[in-house]
Amino acid sequence: MAALRTGVAGVVGLAARMGRLSVSVPSQVTRPSLHTSFVTAFSHFRLTPWYASLHTSSSHRGLMEFFDNEKNWGETEVKVGRSWRIEELRIKSNEDLHKLWFVLLKEKNMLLTMEHACEEEYQVFPNPERIDKVEESMKNLEDVVKERNRAYWLLETGEDGEHHGEIGTDSLGRRRFIRYREHTVPYWSTGRPWRSRETPSITKFSRLMREKKFLEKRRALRRIRDHVCMLLRRFPHMDLDVLQKKYPEVNVKALRHQKRSLGHHVHNIA
Amino acid sequence: MLDSTKRQKSRGKSLDSIPTDHGHNSSNLQMPQGKHYKKVFLEPVLEWSFFKGDKVEILVGDDKGKQGLVNYIVEERNWVMVEGLNCNYRTIGKKDDYPGMMIKTEAPLLVTGQVALVDPSDNKPTEVEWRFTEEGEKVRVSTRTGRIIPIPKLAEETPDYKTKATYTEQEKDTTAEEVTSITFQPTLRTFEMDIAEKMGIKEDRIPHKTYWY
Repeated sequence: MAALRTGVAGVVGLAARMGRLSVSVPSQVTRPSLHTSFVTAFSHFRLTPWYASLHTSSSHRGLMEFFDNEKNWGETEVKVGRSWRIEELRIKSNEDLHKLWFVLLKEKNMLLTMEHACEEEYQVFPNPERIDKVEESMKNLEDVVKERNRAYWLLETGEDGEHHGEIGTDSLGRRRFIRYREHTVPYWSTGRPWRSRETPSITKFSRLMREKKFLEKRRALRRIRDHVCMLLRRFPHMDLDVLQKKYPEVNVKALRHQKRSLGHHVHNIA
Repeated sequence: MLDSTKRQKSRGKSLDSIPTDHGHNSSNLQMPQGKHYKKVFLEPVLEWSFFKGDKVEILVGDDKGKQGLVNYIVEERNWVMVEGLNCNYRTIGKKDDYPGMMIKTEAPLLVTGQVALVDPSDNKPTEVEWRFTEEGEKVRVSTRTGRIIPIPKLAEETPDYKTKATYTEQEKDTTAEEVTSITFQPTLRTFEMDIAEKMGIKEDRIPHKTYWY
């Protein structure tokens, strides 16, 4: 990527926001920090718009980049290609991925703006699956970047530089996957208790919640069992292996002996 | 006014010929909110074997024994619509002097027992299995003769294109050669390090040690 003119204050902020840029010694390595400084775009007054120096692409439409091409306004169909697959993104260099990310981001912003504009005008937004395609491409891109970073971290440090977590209990005592948070001091030096102790209200709440979850699960299972019995009644010649694969939670062979599975035909068991 | 609005009870059906939602906030008149539909019981199908453009034979009804091409598929109901067959006719716009216009609509057929794929070798209906060829390709094979039934060209259709060959590149599309070109040079750098190097950003500061828990 061509070196950007550093006259604009925003670039320096952007650099700091990109996190850790070098790994010197394994013992001093920590995970990439979150954004440290806020990007300020307006440094001083200029006659040309500030973004003119920040642009690396050829389009300079200003705020109109938030909207689609004029000829697509009011159309019932806008044809686009498919999303980027992860195999196609793996063969691209980091600069290409970096550029593509912003292309996708701008496209997503444009599509969301158009969607909102259509809603405001009570118009039909054509091809809303475009947003899903862009989101899928962005997810795949992030996965490729994660793969590459992970490979480097494992080689150099022995641990992957990813944001870890564990299954624990939240403040209401519910089982959740809690992501680790960054602290400046180790846990044993804070003086605070390691995990919050369970209060009597939390105990009562957990008991009631557990009962509710159990009842929901039991009712769901009963619903599936009833549905399977009805299917057995209506389709006596059905393939039972196929049915078992479709509903693995219930025992199809045992349900055939249920009274509910009996149908008005000669193919009943019992 | 003390005697406020007395709610008028509707006796029998609404007199409107056009169905309205009677002031409820619903834009879908064909599927109004609160209306209960009977539960549909679907015979489970593990591997779907019917595609648009397939030659099938109808096994039930007035058109029993006739063969036709699949026009439309509704997998959620195990339905298949065969072109021009198994139709019902309805007359619309009938008046005293005008006989009306007859419209022919294809009725859906169940994939599980009302329709069967036709074996191209002998043009007779068969049961079909999915098997792997020596090359590793998954194909439909007729259980009676063992002949492979190829997937029709019409099945290639998607909402974006009719066939892959007829798709025209759009403004925002990346061309095939650009997509397949390899630009990745593996280096011992993280993504951020690589970008910073290429952009000329130098970050020599070493962050303070932090603890994650």
